[in-house]
Amino acid sequence: MATIRDKGYSHWDGTLRDRRFPWWPITRTGILLTFRKKQLKFFFAFAFVPAVAFLAGIYISERLEDFKFMFKGSEKFITINPAYFKTYFTSDFLLFMMVMILVFAGAGLVADDLKHNALQLYFSRPIGKKDYLLGKAAVIFFFILVLTLVPGLLFVIFKLIFAGSFRFLAEYPWLLLSIVGYSALLTLFFASYTLLLSALSKNRRYVTILIFGVYLFSDIIYGILFGIFRSPYVALFSIKGNLQQAGAMMFGRKLPFAYPGYLSFLVLAGIFVVSAVVLWRRLRSVEEVR
Amino acid sequence: MNPTIETRSLSKWYGNVLGLSDVTLTIEPGITGLLGPNGAGKSTFMKLLTGQLKPNIGQVAVLGRPVWNAYPLFAKIGFCPEADAFYEEITGWEFLTGLLSFYGYSRNEVGDRAAKALDIVELTADKDRRIRGYSRGMRQRIRFAQAIAHDPEIIILDEPLSGLDPLGKRKLIHLVKGYRDQGRTILVSSHVLPEIEAMTSRIILIHQGKILAQGDIHYIRDLIETHPHIISLKCDDPRALAASFVKEPYVHNLRFEADAGSLVVETHNRDAFFGRLNAVILEGGVRVDEITSPDDNLQAVFDYLVGK
Repeated sequence: MATIRDKGYSHWDGTLRDRRFPWWPITRTGILLTFRKKQLKFFFAFAFVPAVAFLAGIYISERLEDFKFMFKGSEKFITINPAYFKTYFTSDFLLFMMVMILVFAGAGLVADDLKHNALQLYFSRPIGKKDYLLGKAAVIFFFILVLTLVPGLLFVIFKLIFAGSFRFLAEYPWLLLSIVGYSALLTLFFASYTLLLSALSKNRRYVTILIFGVYLFSDIIYGILFGIFRSPYVALFSIKGNLQQAGAMMFGRKLPFAYPGYLSFLVLAGIFVVSAVVLWRRLRSVEEVR
Repeated sequence: MNPTIETRSLSKWYGNVLGLSDVTLTIEPGITGLLGPNGAGKSTFMKLLTGQLKPNIGQVAVLGRPVWNAYPLFAKIGFCPEADAFYEEITGWEFLTGLLSFYGYSRNEVGDRAAKALDIVELTADKDRRIRGYSRGMRQRIRFAQAIAHDPEIIILDEPLSGLDPLGKRKLIHLVKGYRDQGRTILVSSHVLPEIEAMTSRIILIHQGKILAQGDIHYIRDLIETHPHIISLKCDDPRALAASFVKEPYVHNLRFEADAGSLVVETHNRDAFFGRLNAVILEGGVRVDEITSPDDNLQAVFDYLVGK
């Protein structure tokens, strides 16, 4: 013991270095664990079906003469303009597939940590609560951006390649911004929606039901209320409705519901704020000693 | 020698519940045992030291720096929580490498450190098994491995021996002592007193959120004047030995044990007692075979201090 005590410590003068991306290990682990789920692989692949179809549409739009036997009289459906992009981004199928992927990728993000009491392991390491949240949210960012921003940009790139000119971008200078903006909106919304629900329970199965159920139920509520009140404003209760309304507004298209588009933005922002508050409170649960 | 950990007027409460109250102490390199019954405030204290909790009042300094929000400083601390904190579906290797990647090591270094930690806790052969299939002892060892894998200066172990079999306990105690020998600071909590006693005589006694005593266990025992020291003597003639002490003013009580070969003496002055005992033995009146102090241990000190 004596030799040990001799060593001792003076105040440590080392440099405290912050890592640039302390959240990255959380994201990487989250993505890797998600891809271990067999069902996810199926849904993930299936979610790209619209992207492939829309990409084919872009190719056909540049080779109409070759494919006129297929599109006689309905060429307007493969006219490549912001409406074409809006149709892809706000399609019921794509939004539904995103929710399905969130079920696999997002349900356990916080719930599993709460269940396994893992927060104390994270927070005894050089990461803060913000890094933790960012790391978890980035898992959702990855999956949503792969289904939105990546295909959106690929559509533009392939359109330019097939057309052999930049005229398309000159015609629709705001289109790239719309793609990036709406992808960011979807990503932020779905990340906050998923993390909010994942933080509400320690049981991943309940969260799975919540992610799926809240999305569908909000649309059912809209349908019921619309049947009773006949007011377009009841679409504000529908998650899908709000996303489609916001999408139409961002791509500069006719709004699907007859109410101001900013209201949908407010609803989505409200969900974001509620999510942030709930998540912060749940993370502080690590400060309760059990 | 400067302390590695210092707390000043440290207090923490949860709503109306007091977790820790006005704790001022220092912890130096070597092993320090943190002792207290369940709910005494041990885990609160450890979480404050590891920067997971913000004190309501007071401050914790680790290596001379306030620990709250000093995330890079956490790389100097290894924390082994009491409860399981695993994703059951990942392997031991993935568990360790995942946690090591928070420290900014290169991929190779993460692998090297994980391999070394697994080797230390003798889990190399099971590294590719899912944690779901680990026994309780293996879980405890992988928990310990994650606390030491990044080679921290300070190791904080919350009930590290619970769930281990005797052999496992012995191995872990040996490991902890090895880190002590390297000059590191180790804080070990337990409510099982012999476990702490096997590792260190330097303790912090905590009860109902307050520090009852800190220091060397024997020194603390000496300071407890309200309770006389109990000394048990095995000898060939207990009655003759008792007669030698019966009139001594420092002897509080004398009694014979049921086996008829032992005399138990209660004294407030151990030095005076042993001085007289030497004289008695040298005078050749009695042959003493064994001398023990049944209350010069952690359990007795703890019981005295908490008023049992």
